[in-house]
Amino acid sequence: MQIKVEDKNTVTICYVTGDIDINTAPDIKKTFDRVIQGKKPKVLVNFQSVNYVDSSGLATLVEFLKNIRAYGGKLKLCTMSPKIKSLFEITKLDRLFEIAPAEGDAVTSFA
Amino acid sequence: MEKQEPVIRVIDLKKKFGDRQILSGINLDIHKGEIFVIMGGSGCGKSTLLRHLIGALTPDEGSVYLLGQDISKLNEDQMDPIRKKIGMSYQGSALFDSMTVGENVSLPLREHTKLDPNVISIMVKMKLELVGLRGFENLMPSQLSGGMKKRVGISRAFAMDPEIVFYDEPTAGLDPIVTAVMDKLIVDLSKALSVTSVVVTHDMNSVFRIADRIAMLYEGRVVEVGTRDEIRNSKNPYVQQFVSGSPDGPIKFFQQKDDYLETLTA
Repeated sequence: MQIKVEDKNTVTICYVTGDIDINTAPDIKKTFDRVIQGKKPKVLVNFQSVNYVDSSGLATLVEFLKNIRAYGGKLKLCTMSPKIKSLFEITKLDRLFEIAPAEGDAVTSFA
Repeated sequence: MEKQEPVIRVIDLKKKFGDRQILSGINLDIHKGEIFVIMGGSGCGKSTLLRHLIGALTPDEGSVYLLGQDISKLNEDQMDPIRKKIGMSYQGSALFDSMTVGENVSLPLREHTKLDPNVISIMVKMKLELVGLRGFENLMPSQLSGGMKKRVGISRAFAMDPEIVFYDEPTAGLDPIVTAVMDKLIVDLSKALSVTSVVVTHDMNSVFRIADRIAMLYEGRVVEVGTRDEIRNSKNPYVQQFVSGSPDGPIKFFQQKDDYLETLTA
């Protein structure tokens, strides 16, 4: 798993590559915590290169959302495979997160 | 199309306790995503078989392949990554009475992962939601009904996102309505989360509600494997007797030996 954070204009984008699971979630959380410390107002997680998410990955994202909302920031997700999107639907988390089909759509929707 | 390897394969499994042969050459294939029920009367060997499937017992002879590995040849350290891929729902729920519901569900996550406590706390809510018990995190097991305890046990079995979940008598001791609720829960969780479910039970109503396929055990052997319809319409006299619940038939409930009087006076 790799995670890269880039600021593009006013949006902070986290690019995750690989699986978000019980083994990788602690490292992803460390990166998310750095984003939170920077109190980034507009945050996007790009799932284009994510193969698999388990429930610890979902919980890590929920915690990220909770912490971003605590300082008034916004978190969106984008570019999910149909398999991962259906996982969000089964767990009803698609109602909690804003999920955009593509990065461009997500960035525009922050404005 | 190439047929998928079974997630569980049992080959000629034999086990004795003392002089008593409990399993006499079990052969089974269980496939990914199916709900497979192992049924049979008390003492037929189904719980012993289940304990072999989860690696709690080692066969005297034969092999048990779980997720492609012969677990009968693995040591405890080698078993560890496989155990993280299976969940177990015990007959008596096996909750720790001194822990809250939330602590019981989070136990495998706290023991086997490096996840942050805040993340674990969110996961516990998600796992309890699966079984309809979100909001019960802070209750003690003694404050729950039997059916609720079983649901907490199932929630804990799903804590690590297992590929296979084993259920030992999931409806034993429950009233008919709670039994039906448990059956629906097992089917819903299996299908929604795409897990393979192995259920040991002798509750025929449950068997025909939940099973994709059924194996019937008698005296340590598999007497028949089939779909619900195949088992319901089986011509096998052992299966027919068990399904109909008749006291008369080839299944013996008492040992009939001629040496009774001799043993009294020995």
